[in-house]
Amino acid sequence: MNGLTKTFGKVRAVDDLSFTVEPGQVTGFLGPNGAGKTTTLRMALGLITPDTGTTTFNGVRYAGLPEPMRQVGAVLETAFHPARSGRDHLRVYCRATGLPVRRADEVLEQVGLGTAGGRRAGGYSLGMRQRLGLATALLGDPAVLVLDEPANGLDPEGIQWLRGFLRHLAHAQGRTVLVSSHLLAEVEQTADRVVIVGAGKLVREGTLAELRSGNAGSVLVRSPQSTALADLLRSTGTTVAPTDTIPDGLTVTGLSTDEIGRRAFAGGIELHELRSHTSGLEEIYFQLTAGQEQYAAAHAEQGAA
Amino acid sequence: MATVVARLVRAEWTKLFTTRVWIGLLLGACVLSGAFAALFTAFAGDQESGLPPLDSPEYARLAFSIATNATVISVVLGIIGITQEYRHRTATPTFLATPQRGRVVIAKLLAYALVAIPYAVLVCAVTVSVVLVYGNARGNTPELTGENLEVLAFAGLALVVYTVIGVGLGALLKNQVGAIVAALVYLYVVEPLLRSIPATSGAYKWLPGGALEATTATFQGPDLLEQWQGVLLLLGYGLTAALLGTLLAVRRDVV
Repeated sequence: MNGLTKTFGKVRAVDDLSFTVEPGQVTGFLGPNGAGKTTTLRMALGLITPDTGTTTFNGVRYAGLPEPMRQVGAVLETAFHPARSGRDHLRVYCRATGLPVRRADEVLEQVGLGTAGGRRAGGYSLGMRQRLGLATALLGDPAVLVLDEPANGLDPEGIQWLRGFLRHLAHAQGRTVLVSSHLLAEVEQTADRVVIVGAGKLVREGTLAELRSGNAGSVLVRSPQSTALADLLRSTGTTVAPTDTIPDGLTVTGLSTDEIGRRAFAGGIELHELRSHTSGLEEIYFQLTAGQEQYAAAHAEQGAA
Repeated sequence: MATVVARLVRAEWTKLFTTRVWIGLLLGACVLSGAFAALFTAFAGDQESGLPPLDSPEYARLAFSIATNATVISVVLGIIGITQEYRHRTATPTFLATPQRGRVVIAKLLAYALVAIPYAVLVCAVTVSVVLVYGNARGNTPELTGENLEVLAFAGLALVVYTVIGVGLGALLKNQVGAIVAALVYLYVVEPLLRSIPATSGAYKWLPGGALEATTATFQGPDLLEQWQGVLLLLGYGLTAALLGTLLAVRRDVV
């Protein structure tokens, strides 16, 4: 994606956004609601015309791909006619792309909807609808998958299944997977690389390890000798503060749990609890998105200024 | 290109025949034109109704043009064919499968024009059956030859063209309920008003309704075009709606 920009009325939804997604990896596309994720994906797939910028798949724009469904599979929303069965829904797109209709049954099996294929899609649960959307994307056996918030509405078991499924598609089958989410935890569990956007602009991009380094997050430690422990832990680059809700607790940033445990042991201080409170990435994400949970897009005038 | 469009036409048929909307519309069209045929036959020659008598050539023309009453169902069929994509948001996967949106709309126009042919044949067959069977019971049946057959053929053609107009209208308006209401208001309020008001009745012949009336030219009508002109004008409306609908569908963002 190269220099994508889109303005809706006065709102600049996406502002000069560029990034690259590599094969064999799950790339998380992370940002708060209203950050421009869906608009970006729709522009990439030729559904929305960008004001400026282009997106290419192996050097070719989506509309220029011969048989796009066989190269790029996308789930942007759970869209289907409620009175049509899941299997018939899939058959429509088999016909439209010249695939044999038996592909419909194959992908239904693949996403675990084998027995529900004959039922009207209007009666599906939210999780089944997400699976049907995923099945539609897989029809053409594409090398690239683009998924917009696929975990929405899935139950914990479904989310677990989805994580494994996406990792399998990328790592075992070598596909390129781009999956958007507004939930960091979701991306942390699934993605190898992360692209973070806020207010339509690129904020950070890199592997999870890269983003974590340089910010160890915060650690919660509890000890009956909390004052002595606090003195022991204070050094340059670390902050130590009493935890509001826990009487003998300390919140430490800048030190790993290993390091805190080592120092306490060396100083002969008894510990009752020692655990990671927030990961480094979580800290970053909170800082980035603080105060822009909703309606995050800046006004076009400001964006241009 | 041709094979791609053929594929898309099949996809459209799969869409149409995997829900039950088509059954309702087909039955509705048959009942509507069948009921009109029965009414007209029952009151033919009746002084108060003003209908021509059973054995007159005017009655024959009227009876065989009755199928045109189902043009409203044709329009609705075309409208639903395209607006359901927006209503149920399946426009997204449809345009993902075929980013060349012009091809999708062309395929829809073709698919619905082709589907409208057996539909028109069936509606005409129901009308003719009622007219012949009921007319026979009342002692006279109009002959299905020459000019009468021509009227019947043009009534069938009108059913097909109105389906195409419906697809174009749906592509223009996108909103299913809005498009259907607009079509009903136009067909049942606007056109009859324009037809009956002396100041505007001159313009009526240039409207789809006027063109339709010219092709099947019934009786006691206002100033109308020649039959062949009516056919051309009606086809022109169908093509214009299709063209405008295609251009708009191609340009608009799918959000």
